Amino acid sequence: MNNPLIPKKIRKNILDMSFSGSTVHLGCSLCLVEILAVIYRNHLNYDFFDPLDPKRDFLILSKGHGVMAQYACMKELGWLDKKRLLNYFSDGSTLKGLADSSVPGIEVSSGSLGHGLSVGVGIAFGHHLQKVNQKTFIIVGDGELNEGVCWEAIQFAGHHQLQNLLIVVDKNNFQAMGATSEIINQDNLKNQIESFNFNVEDVDGHNEHELDQAIQGLFALRNNKPNCIVANTIKGKGISFMENNNDWHYLRLDQALYDSARSELEI
Amino acid sequence: MRDTFSSKLLELAKSNPQVLLLTGDHGYGLFRDLRAAKPQQFINMGIAEQNMVSMAAGLSRVGFNPIVYALSAFIPIRVLEQIKLDVCHDNAPVIFIGDGAGFVYSHLGSSHQSTEDIAVTTAIPNLIVMSPGDRFELSRCMDLAITANSPVYIRLGKGDRGDVHSQNLDFNLGDLIFLKKPTDVATTATLVATGSMLAMAAMLCQRFPSLGLVSAPSLKPINNSQIRDLCLNNHTIITLEEHSIFGGLGSIISDVAATVAHATVKKLGIQDRFSEYCGSYEYLLNEHKIDFDSLKDAIKHHIPGLD
Repeated sequence: MNNPLIPKKIRKNILDMSFSGSTVHLGCSLCLVEILAVIYRNHLNYDFFDPLDPKRDFLILSKGHGVMAQYACMKELGWLDKKRLLNYFSDGSTLKGLADSSVPGIEVSSGSLGHGLSVGVGIAFGHHLQKVNQKTFIIVGDGELNEGVCWEAIQFAGHHQLQNLLIVVDKNNFQAMGATSEIINQDNLKNQIESFNFNVEDVDGHNEHELDQAIQGLFALRNNKPNCIVANTIKGKGISFMENNNDWHYLRLDQALYDSARSELEI
Repeated sequence: MRDTFSSKLLELAKSNPQVLLLTGDHGYGLFRDLRAAKPQQFINMGIAEQNMVSMAAGLSRVGFNPIVYALSAFIPIRVLEQIKLDVCHDNAPVIFIGDGAGFVYSHLGSSHQSTEDIAVTTAIPNLIVMSPGDRFELSRCMDLAITANSPVYIRLGKGDRGDVHSQNLDFNLGDLIFLKKPTDVATTATLVATGSMLAMAAMLCQRFPSLGLVSAPSLKPINNSQIRDLCLNNHTIITLEEHSIFGGLGSIISDVAATVAHATVKKLGIQDRFSEYCGSYEYLLNEHKIDFDSLKDAIKHHIPGLD
């Protein structure tokens, strides 16, 4: 692939989209960048010219609120042009506020939480039945795991030994209204998910090398267990005044804040 | 009807290896033949209906034709959002079978009774909604569903009310089936029934021989021009369903009738209430005033000159 998916460039795309469309959900998009970059760059098997190739691996963003990060990557891949990207959130745009399956490259409509995980487990189970060598990557949020249906999907995947599956938990320790520690504590995820017959690795979700090694190592196990990475991330990562400031789930950029944020991303 | 469902399911599974029956741990006896002949096409998904529906969407994405079975109290009611977003938004060809609709589980109470499923499913884009009235209608509905290439909800109610038709049917999706024309020119009234109430309507037509009789096995789409003709050719249309009077067959017919402004539509079904009592199926029909005698009285009330 020609495009190395540089995190700073992806974050710039996110800022440009957010400022242009005056949008929310910056914090939960910025924390996803390295996870998406590593999966697209090193692990996802897909046709560069055809996001709908039936032989592709599936990448599902179940936490649809982070869709700006995926659109930003799709821009780098050449699947979205700049004009369309900057039209995000605007009147008549097909790039809706949350992930929408009508956009080639976005597999599942999500944002109502807990859907993408089960749809993805369905895809992985289908490939398992067909005995084909296609992988499914699903990114869920730690707040999203409040949804009971997530655990229905996890127990099914464990029982049916879907070793073609990788769930990445974007564990940024926040959800819409506050810290997960104050709402539904998610500090025992590794043990909880392991207990459903998963292989689980706990990594720094902004360290591309760690992410890369963990993904490679988990899929190499082939021990009839599905795989999970608990990726410890920082909500708002990359922009100092947004990091771990949950207000940036909902705040919008003005010109001064945009300029300030943009200045932190100079390469 | 249940034997027809089982044998038709086996036939579909044998003819298409992509057909997968998913059940939410229900329907033990129904799938005996399928499990014996095609065990790899039967999957018990556990008591986890939300996951079952979303996974069906995923399975359809990679080439399978899932048929999702549960009680209609759970599919579609418990999982409506999964049906809307994961299946219907993507127009995925998943067939939902909602069994035990209406008051089949008369002894178990409101958790297992389903009288609002037509109302909510017909409001979801892309979703075809069918409510067969006997085994011949069911067989045709399943053929239409498997070839629809679209999401389908098939509502199965009380299955032992007897046949109304006497042979295989070949109606098109949306068609009303005209079984009998009204014969009294003074009253010109027709009963339009769906699902379990078709057999009841046929009995009521024996009691009131001048009434016309129409079956509506397909509720969405539904043939609007046939409904308009019905409105133009009748003074009174009486709809009959084991479903709420809000949003079911009666509402669907009334919506079209309102554009014709000729016939009066009287809706017979379940009033806006839950079951208060436990009891036999017949007892529950009586509690909700959709047993034979209550319906007979209601029809006489609506059409005073009727013999």
